Amino acid sequence: MKRGAILFAFNTEKFNYYEMAEYAAKRINHFLKLPVTIVTDEDSYPEDTEYVWDKVIKITPDKNNTRVWGTWINKGRWQAFEFTPYDETLLLDVDYIVNSSNLLKIFDFYDDFCCHNTIDFLMQPNAEQEKISHYGYNSLWATVVAFKKTNKVKNIFNCMKMVQNNYEFYMNLHSFNTGIYRNDYALTIALSIINGHLTDNRDFIPWNLLHIGSNTQIYKSNKDELDSEFTVTFDNWQRGKIRKEYITINDLDFHVMDKELYVGIIENEK
Amino acid sequence: MDIKNLLTESKARFNHNSAKAYLAEKFKSKLILAEQGGLWKADAETISLLNSFTSANLVLIDTFNSPVKVDRQQLLEKLQQTYDTTMEQWYTEWKEIENKR
Repeated sequence: MKRGAILFAFNTEKFNYYEMAEYAAKRINHFLKLPVTIVTDEDSYPEDTEYVWDKVIKITPDKNNTRVWGTWINKGRWQAFEFTPYDETLLLDVDYIVNSSNLLKIFDFYDDFCCHNTIDFLMQPNAEQEKISHYGYNSLWATVVAFKKTNKVKNIFNCMKMVQNNYEFYMNLHSFNTGIYRNDYALTIALSIINGHLTDNRDFIPWNLLHIGSNTQIYKSNKDELDSEFTVTFDNWQRGKIRKEYITINDLDFHVMDKELYVGIIENEK
Repeated sequence: MDIKNLLTESKARFNHNSAKAYLAEKFKSKLILAEQGGLWKADAETISLLNSFTSANLVLIDTFNSPVKVDRQQLLEKLQQTYDTTMEQWYTEWKEIENKR
């Protein structure tokens, strides 16, 4: 059984996602000892890179998704199933920082598909779980997905494609209006359809996906690229003033939602 | 800017509650393990239950809510070992945080 990770990275006018992917890949190699495949495009892939990918897959991405800060090229994630060269794959967002070997545990217990269904925020514990709408499903998270190449999983990814292609219909059906396509919501709807609108706990990773959320900053504690210690600061607003608080963390994976912060981590190590 | 300078200049305070929550988050995931076809949490409840029986085999409900027939002694040893290692690490890191008071 060959195991590996797959990342999708397409540069936009604002962010260099390829650079983020390379940073993520080095940490996957180091902490999980897994090879990494990248799905990218000609414009994003720098020919002079020294990083050795297990496989580079260049495609023409769908750039038809816009956020406030610009284009967000996140469509086509369903293609992970056909692109992965591995029997068992970890599909990760490039802004998910692997900082421990914890994800390897998934290979020991999952049937053929697994993702996060619960989240928490560092420095802001006991966060409410996100729902796709006020009376809709709890959102699942496409940030970390583990899968095998089975028929069920093929159906899940095909269903994600169907949801992506008919996103407006599903927005109306489930009463959410994000304005942008989100893989998290497509996965939530697809998995629900495939499971006959029932919940199967075996599809979920039994610990929280940890976000670095609003008013929170994260810095490497030192310049060693593969060191696992980070310092997290939080702007705690009290009576109109900010009280800055901090903790240090190590041996714990997390998801950096703010891309500027992620870029800051990478830049700081140069 | 160096992180130590940043913390000093912004007069940042160490937040014990957040640090405690972070440790709980980290070590709870480390207490989870897959064994004998089930997914288990190496917690006091499961270890006590395994200890309270004498039979060689036992059916337990795992964390996925599936009944799994297990070799009791083998699972007990594995859970105790995971519990011991993880809790020792948790305690060590907790003491480091306590010393920051």
